[in-house]
Amino acid sequence: MNENYFRWRQRCLIVLFILMLAELIVVTSTVFSQEEVASAIRRYKGYESSTGYYEEFEVKPNRIRPFVGVSEVKKSVFSYSPAASEVRVRTRLSDSHYGIRFYENLSCQYCHPAEAMDIHTTRANLSCRQCHGAEPIASIEHYYSSLNPIRKHAYVCSKCHEGASASFASYIVHEPAPGSPEARKTFSELYYAYWFMMFLLTVTLAFFIPHSFLVGLRELIKQIGKWRNQ
Amino acid sequence: MIETTVIKRFSLSERLFHFLLMLSFLIQSATGFGRLFINSKWGEKVCYVFGGYENASLIHHFVGGIMIAGFLLHIIFLLFKINWLDLRQSLFGPDSLIPNFQDIRHLSRQIRWLFGVGDHPRFDRWTYWEKFDYWGVFWGLPLLAITGIMLIYPLWTCRFAPGWILNVAALLHRAEAILAVSYIFIVHFFIGHLRPASFPMNEAMFSGNVVLGQATEEKPAWIERLKMKGAIEKIKAQPPSQWFRVIYYVFGYSSILLGVYLLINGIIYSRYIRLH
Repeated sequence: MNENYFRWRQRCLIVLFILMLAELIVVTSTVFSQEEVASAIRRYKGYESSTGYYEEFEVKPNRIRPFVGVSEVKKSVFSYSPAASEVRVRTRLSDSHYGIRFYENLSCQYCHPAEAMDIHTTRANLSCRQCHGAEPIASIEHYYSSLNPIRKHAYVCSKCHEGASASFASYIVHEPAPGSPEARKTFSELYYAYWFMMFLLTVTLAFFIPHSFLVGLRELIKQIGKWRNQ
Repeated sequence: MIETTVIKRFSLSERLFHFLLMLSFLIQSATGFGRLFINSKWGEKVCYVFGGYENASLIHHFVGGIMIAGFLLHIIFLLFKINWLDLRQSLFGPDSLIPNFQDIRHLSRQIRWLFGVGDHPRFDRWTYWEKFDYWGVFWGLPLLAITGIMLIYPLWTCRFAPGWILNVAALLHRAEAILAVSYIFIVHFFIGHLRPASFPMNEAMFSGNVVLGQATEEKPAWIERLKMKGAIEKIKAQPPSQWFRVIYYVFGYSSILLGVYLLINGIIYSRYIRLH
């Protein structure tokens, strides 16, 4: 009896272990941020039949968004979310936007306007999803996220920057405003570089512009005096 | 009676270096501003002139390389120009561009003169602002060159440094470029060509010559020194031909107009500037 019980318990544990392993491999790995695509267009064509209007919802410069207006962009992140109080730390979720009401109707820059203004979006014309993947967008620190620092260089950066290293991937795509208190806290090198250059610019121009103006004025007075004497 | 005697102020090689720097600086300013303001309609237009954003980048990188080469060549030129047998006089004499205590005295005197409480300083061959213009390139160009190379070759850079250094490099490159453009297009253009004593154009850097009377008024210590040494006769030069004057007037004023155009639009569209 006892022997049978132990054998049954052992089998149950093995099955449970297999199920857990399956869950870990199969279920979590379906977080779509792991997909490897090089353009938003290819993504939509590859994964769903699209009208093409999705492209207009993507964060791109000088594009008209036909259905979504962004005139009242919310300043604070997730201020409208009923789940905001429940989910405070979103950086480790498999679906970082879990629980946000009307999420389906929003574009990325509705909540992340500053993130939509970096060099990658404005210069390289990248859309958010080209790096962050499709829905559900995993948090960047979620273990299986392609943007997790342990694999970001290989899964994301190297799509365009062939041969990107982990060191290269420590480039901060969504950096804080360089002169802000936030930058002082999170990116002090950028903060001090910014204020040093501002100091240099201000001192140089604050001295030389009035100096040049006064030289011009004095020479003009001298010239007028000469003309009068003549 | 109009003074017509002209004396040599800049050698041909000095003028060629200035011309190369001027031309490359203007191209870099235009392509750089096009890239900096690419989110605006104006930035798009500027890039369009160069064949689009990608081509503007390509030209910017290429001309940047020429600028660096010119700078290195200039350093070699300096090494040849230094009189190694009389190093002290060569480096710290009145003909040297290295700043000295006399410049501080001139500055203080000039400030008093500007406010009408003193006489005009008796400048020698180089004024303190001319020295600042010259040495400004020595801090600006290496900073722009190093950060520029880091940004052109980010993967290579990250073999030696972490990726966040590129964020800092981008900021330094843009901020230094804005400083250089603002200084050249406001201060240098005004002091060089538009102030009453130089208007309509200070031709010295193009023709290489300066009118003796004008030089005596602006740099009396230099002319006095030359007269004492009896060197005036040796550096007497021929005035430039009319066609050559027309060429450099057209070129000079085109450069000023381009600079002012970039500066004004840069101010108008300044809300599009992102230093990071």
